[in-house]
Amino acid sequence: METVTNQLVSIEKPEIVAPPDWQPVIIGILCNWCSYAGSDLTGTSRLQYPPNIRIIRVPCSSRVDTWFLIKSLQTTADGVLVSGCHPGDCHYISGNYFARRRFLVTKKLLNFVGFHENRIQFSWVSAAEGPKFAKVVSKVTEDIKKLGPLHLYKKENFEK
Amino acid sequence: MDYTKQIQEIATRLFAEDKIDVFVGYRLTGFDDNQVPALIRESKDVPLLVFNQKSVFNLSNYLKNDHTRNKRVGLVVKGCDSRSLNLLLTESQVKREKLYVVGIACEGVVDDAGQKMQNCLECMVPAAVVYDELLGEANMERRFIINADIQDMAAKELVQRREYFEEVFENCIRCNACRHSCPLCYCAKCCIDQETATLYNGANTTSSAFHALMTWSLHLAGRCVDCRNCEKACPSHLPLHLFHKWNERVIYENFQEHLAGVHEGDRGAFYKYSMQDPDDFIM
Ligand code: SF4
Ligand code: SF4
Ligand code: SF4
Ligand code: SF4
Repeated sequence: METVTNQLVSIEKPEIVAPPDWQPVIIGILCNWCSYAGSDLTGTSRLQYPPNIRIIRVPCSSRVDTWFLIKSLQTTADGVLVSGCHPGDCHYISGNYFARRRFLVTKKLLNFVGFHENRIQFSWVSAAEGPKFAKVVSKVTEDIKKLGPLHLYKKENFEK
Repeated sequence: MDYTKQIQEIATRLFAEDKIDVFVGYRLTGFDDNQVPALIRESKDVPLLVFNQKSVFNLSNYLKNDHTRNKRVGLVVKGCDSRSLNLLLTESQVKREKLYVVGIACEGVVDDAGQKMQNCLECMVPAAVVYDELLGEANMERRFIINADIQDMAAKELVQRREYFEEVFENCIRCNACRHSCPLCYCAKCCIDQETATLYNGANTTSSAFHALMTWSLHLAGRCVDCRNCEKACPSHLPLHLFHKWNERVIYENFQEHLAGVHEGDRGAFYKYSMQDPDDFIM
């Protein structure tokens, strides 16, 4: 099949120059049963990860409405990370399969309208994967630092 | 493609047999050869009904208002309209036994300038898929042409796409006509109203338009049937089909060639899943 949707060109010129002390804000939406427990384990094992992530706990990755991602990008976030259980491990059996579909479409659509693909990221982190969680957060933070602050469609730019 | 006579006959018959309370069809505006939807309640009004290549609107949108809800309704549907009707049936918004559906094997409709509309040139399912009676040839050819606009847009760089869409969001006046005209947007409380402009909150901004149009198009992802009611209704003439065609294509390519509303009982793409769904974009 001829594909058009997998060939988006995503080179980004920084939109605005970041102030020297700028730190990105990343909204991390984690599922209660795997990824949140995984992030807990990261903490209890005293692994270091960047403090840029602001964690929100949700019951399941399929609770993550596409709207949450749009709202995050529109308000404070420079990037969003959503994390849930590995396929097959969902506490509610199939929640993450539904979520996976929505995530792909949301990511592609936001990329289509002008957000760099690295601003919206997803991961599967199980309750036993503390080190993986630290790695994921470091990677996302690195990616977003490279892209610089997000100012596109920010609410405060318009409400004066 | 002129089924005026046949539709008038069917409507007369249905009223005579007392099978319907209201017939939803098209009539002329009275000023020019453009048409508007018509709700016919008595057989004496039946001669107003027309159907030809100017019958552009998707009438399944009129199943959700007080004039038709819980009534026995006769309805004219083209191919795309029948797909949205199919979804409304699957999503329990209308009852099949209350409907008498006149399906059309559609040869395409034209815009104000008399040109065939883009969605009709690319039409996948021209013949109605739900009907009690079909006018025209049932086995019309189905095709899948990739929308040229999204191909052009996808070939551009991120910065160019961003500039283009910034202008789109800037020109949206947040009137919500796109949502109201969409047959598949029937929620009593709609979440994009959260940022609808009022006199006080000054929410009519590019930011709120971004929020609303993105949320809206994602609610239609895997359900939109490309009837372009939304685009016809938009007072700013925004290219809303770009969002919908893009989503449709992403879903078609990645989720087992899903097409909304073609099969009876088939739900939107987000209401099912498969083990083969792509996983490579997830860390
Ligand atoms: S999209 Fe297809 S079914 Fe709909 S009006 Fe055009 S040709 Fe007819
Ligand atoms: S979003 Fe527009 S094109 Fe899609 S079904 Fe609704 S009105 Fe039709
Ligand atoms: S935009 Fe979403 S919430 Fe609003 S009416 Fe449409 S489907 Fe319902
Ligand atoms: S109809 Fe057009 S102007 Fe009105 S809200 Fe929709 S996109 Fe914006």
